[in-house]
Amino acid sequence: MEENLKWLWAAFSVAWALHIGYVSLLSGRARKLEGQLKNLRAQLKERD
Amino acid sequence: MREAIPKPLGAVTLLCLLTSMYLIFSWVPTEASMGIVQRIFYIHVSSAAVAFGGFFLGGFAAIAYLASRNATRDDLSVACNEVGLLFACVNLITGCLWAKPVWGVYWAWDARLTSMLLLALIYAAYLILRQSIEEPGQRAVVCAVVSVFGMVDVPIVYMANRWWRTQHPAPVLGGGGSLDPRMTFVLFFTMFSLALLYWCLVRQRRNLEALGRTTDALRRQVQAAS
Repeated sequence: MEENLKWLWAAFSVAWALHIGYVSLLSGRARKLEGQLKNLRAQLKERD
Repeated sequence: MREAIPKPLGAVTLLCLLTSMYLIFSWVPTEASMGIVQRIFYIHVSSAAVAFGGFFLGGFAAIAYLASRNATRDDLSVACNEVGLLFACVNLITGCLWAKPVWGVYWAWDARLTSMLLLALIYAAYLILRQSIEEPGQRAVVCAVVSVFGMVDVPIVYMANRWWRTQHPAPVLGGGGSLDPRMTFVLFFTMFSLALLYWCLVRQRRNLEALGRTTDALRRQVQAAS
């Protein structure tokens, strides 16, 4: 019983770690793109 | 830009996920032969179901893109496929961690497992291909074709343990197996919760793709102006 508990724990931990990792990856990409967008808008404004 | 995940959708998803974890760990009866490790079943099967549904959605969005050449369909397709791949990875890894205590090995090269791995590799290749093609129109067309090809593979994976002899057990739903009604309820509830999570992630990913397109357009404007 206790021997098998570690497999159950491992499976759910990995499943949630993958989801949390993916959400972090999306947040990172969003922050990077928003930063680029802000820079590009500033560059365009300067030229105008 | 519209809100990626509306607050009510996020709140309902979180509530459903917490409830499904409570049901899996505290409410559903323990299976007689495998014991406590059988509870991996709920997340393993639900992740596969959500991944299959997601790949179909991605495939239909790709067909819609090929028919209309509307970039928002391509955004939806890439979002559905990328998040679908995440769920396919969860299915494969939880399957390995369930197989070890039950079969004595992490992996068996049988038809079900191998076809699922191939499906995941098709979508991994899809994402690599997306990164490698610069021209947006060409990238969307090539990736839409790969997406449709991946979608066609889904029924083969689903039917693999009916068509061939496999170490993977026969399906418990719609395959002649029997399941305690409480187990069936928890399985469907977990599927529903993960489907909500899938949709939240797709919305987030689709918004990111749209943001990327806006950034590219603005970059072209800056380059043209300089």
